[in-house]
Amino acid sequence: MNAFAKWSKQNWLLYVVLAAYATLAVAHGPEALDAATRGLTTFANLFATLVGVFALIGLVRVWVTDAFIMKHLGENSGWRGLAIGAGLGTVMVGPLVGVFPLYESLLAKGARPAVIVAMVSTWAIKIAMIPLELSIFGWQFTLVRNGLLFCAAFVMAPLMELIIGKDWGARFRGAAGEE
Amino acid sequence: MGITDFIFLGVMLGLVVYSAIKSGAKTKKALTVGAKQFWNVLPFFVAIFGLIGLLEVLLTPKQVGAWLGPQQGLLAPFYAAVVGGISAGPPAAAFPLGKYLLVQHAGVAAVGAMLISWTAVATATLPAEIRFFGAKFALSRWALAFVISIVIGLLMAWILPLMGWSL
Repeated sequence: MNAFAKWSKQNWLLYVVLAAYATLAVAHGPEALDAATRGLTTFANLFATLVGVFALIGLVRVWVTDAFIMKHLGENSGWRGLAIGAGLGTVMVGPLVGVFPLYESLLAKGARPAVIVAMVSTWAIKIAMIPLELSIFGWQFTLVRNGLLFCAAFVMAPLMELIIGKDWGARFRGAAGEE
Repeated sequence: MGITDFIFLGVMLGLVVYSAIKSGAKTKKALTVGAKQFWNVLPFFVAIFGLIGLLEVLLTPKQVGAWLGPQQGLLAPFYAAVVGGISAGPPAAAFPLGKYLLVQHAGVAAVGAMLISWTAVATATLPAEIRFFGAKFALSRWALAFVISIVIGLLMAWILPLMGWSL
């Protein structure tokens, strides 16, 4: 497969989104412009954070040993590993898509898939948003909502492991970015 | 950019500097690996943010509100999870919308389900998730998150009155 075809296959979504914009532009020009502006603003706001995330990915690759990840987030890390994952998930910033490559490299270093699921689940808890939620809904609502969401990570993780199978993580081992 | 973004960037900068002090060569390798990865996924990110912009414009909070009024009855938490799940607005936008809905007499279960699914389901980033983790993982997680949003919404509607909560 030549380079452009490979690139297109990896970035198929770009074509879909461009087509959607073209359609909207023909039907409702101003709305397409509005959408593009909003998308661009979101991207611009997160760009610095994304750069930080990718710097972190590089540092993790170079400094964190596979043995360390295996021990704390690996197959035998048990509930403690899940708790670490769930805790880390709550402090993640930026959009979920930004941290996927980071999680991918953790899997490559031997993290247990369930730990990754826990991290993805508690990503929905936004530490930074808690003051806003408190001011709008009060403490009981905030406590119950975020508490249940945190607990849900411990339900999601084993369930996902059951669905995707324990060996699912094996395909990532040593694969991502080891050039 | 919020305060947490600056804290994160500050910590990152500190880590890079610390890494550079410990080993210049390793740090250079780390940054090269990071930059290469970033460059690889950049087109995909552009597409995702384009998609987010589209969903924001085509699915306004007002429309969401119209779909989740009290007239939906018992199915409201289900609809709420669907609407919250496909919306792609910033998390901060969900809370004022939730309050508006409660004032409009929507149920706690529906509002709870909407708030959870708003951030937990992540439909707009599903293509990216499939790209990184495969369809089986992404679609199972997506479906589970949807179900769990409804369950948590229902649990909230059960627990909160016991705590004497009201808006």
